Amino acid sequence: MVEFKNVSVTYSSGVDALNHVNLKINDGDFAFVVGSSGAGKSTLIKLILKEIDATDGDVMVNGFNLTKLRRRKIPALRRTIGVVFQDFRLIPTMTVYENVAFVLRVIDAPAKYIRSRVPYVISLVGLQEKAKSYPTELSGGEQQRVALARALVNDPQLIIADEPTGNIDPALSYEIVDLLKSINECGTTVLMVTHEHDLVRYFGGRIININKGNIAFDEVIGGSNTDEG
Amino acid sequence: MKASSARYLVGQGVKSIWRNRMMSFASFCIILVSLLMVGVSVLVTINLNKIISGIEDQSEASVVIKDDIGEEKQQELREQIEALPNVASVSFYSKDEAWEDMKADMTEEQQDLFRYADDNPLPDTFRVTVNDISLMSDTSMQIETFDNVDSVKSPTQFADVLVSIQNILMIIMTAVILALIVVCLIIISNTTRSSVFARRKEINIMKYVGATNSFIRIPFFIEGMLVGIAAAAVALFLTKFAYEGVYNVFRNDIDLWSILGVSSLYSFDQMSVEVTACYLAAGAIIGAVGSSISAGKHLRV
Repeated sequence: MVEFKNVSVTYSSGVDALNHVNLKINDGDFAFVVGSSGAGKSTLIKLILKEIDATDGDVMVNGFNLTKLRRRKIPALRRTIGVVFQDFRLIPTMTVYENVAFVLRVIDAPAKYIRSRVPYVISLVGLQEKAKSYPTELSGGEQQRVALARALVNDPQLIIADEPTGNIDPALSYEIVDLLKSINECGTTVLMVTHEHDLVRYFGGRIININKGNIAFDEVIGGSNTDEG
Repeated sequence: MKASSARYLVGQGVKSIWRNRMMSFASFCIILVSLLMVGVSVLVTINLNKIISGIEDQSEASVVIKDDIGEEKQQELREQIEALPNVASVSFYSKDEAWEDMKADMTEEQQDLFRYADDNPLPDTFRVTVNDISLMSDTSMQIETFDNVDSVKSPTQFADVLVSIQNILMIIMTAVILALIVVCLIIISNTTRSSVFARRKEINIMKYVGATNSFIRIPFFIEGMLVGIAAAAVALFLTKFAYEGVYNVFRNDIDLWSILGVSSLYSFDQMSVEVTACYLAAGAIIGAVGSSISAGKHLRV
């Protein structure tokens, strides 16, 4: 669960990135966050990951009160969150398998668990055939699926996807969102930042529009695909 | 921490050395050179101390006793001298002995000159050795104040020179060691920085998925430590060969050793355990500390 209570962020440059934002995303929700660049979307994500601290107000994420969270406890918070980036951020010297397994290694998971969990997650994103390939041998859509597998492998309560479709073909974008939707159906909260209105209109659901540091719109709309069935 | 994680961290450290081999080699070289310089100066100092203490044992003050004071007063004076804290030993050197020794050193012509001298011109003396040669002049002055002492001749100048050599060596060595430590830390810090740079993507991901700070830092620590240990091993090897070469050159030079009053230099085997332990510990600590400081600074985890 993510909850913002009257949160403001002012950068040291004097820019007000967020103004008294109140927002609540319940467990199991799927929400699109839209808005033009500079509206405060990135600030929102950085707050949730505690890369930055709120100037004012309280941020609660997965039961952690980030205002009071000590630096030492940040790893514990981040283990409950999976992140997918626009630029994938896969490690080019590692195979698909290693890229995913790496996440479990660095959080000190048992070797036996890694051996069973990683192939399972790779098969969830449909890349079992490519487990031994390197990222450069994959298409953009496939690379983003690896990144998704990496975000999932840790079994996080919340997945944050920051413009996950920004660097891939529009046709493949739908595939990625479909995957995120099916992950959400298994109970994981998904927060997807995007500026592709076509995608949002197609899938529908909860839309949070941020404009100049304020929430301009936060409602559930019907998607064009759900209208049909 | 699990065994598999420990293996993973060590593996990452080793990989990092290879991935970053030019800078690792630079660290290796600087630690090697530093250890060699420190090691050589320590070995030289140890041996100089041995030689100096040999010379100290030989250098003695000569206490000239007033003529004809009788055995009882001589004994009294001897006890007085022995009671001084810095005095190690007192031995009586009679005028007759001194006369014989002196004649033995003379040429025949010189002996002829003294053939008819029926009176021995030399005085009775005590030969006094001291514990601490740097206090030799103080001790001499104290002895001079005693009754029945005519004069005290002590090699104070020689003692002073030895002591100042020892002090200068200590100062130079300390300065060299400090300078080398600073240079080592700077080079290792640079190595670690480039190693952090080479792995920045991984580190970024590690931070996002919730790796703890120590987990991110340990590979750099291991990298530095391994480079330090490797440098120490090579330094040890080189030192052993160089030292034994020098040792063998001087070992059979008996004249030299009789002048210096010691039987020989220390052999390497006598010191090998200490030298090995010091080298490995110094190498590992310099490497590990250097890279940890730098990792902390550049990772900002």
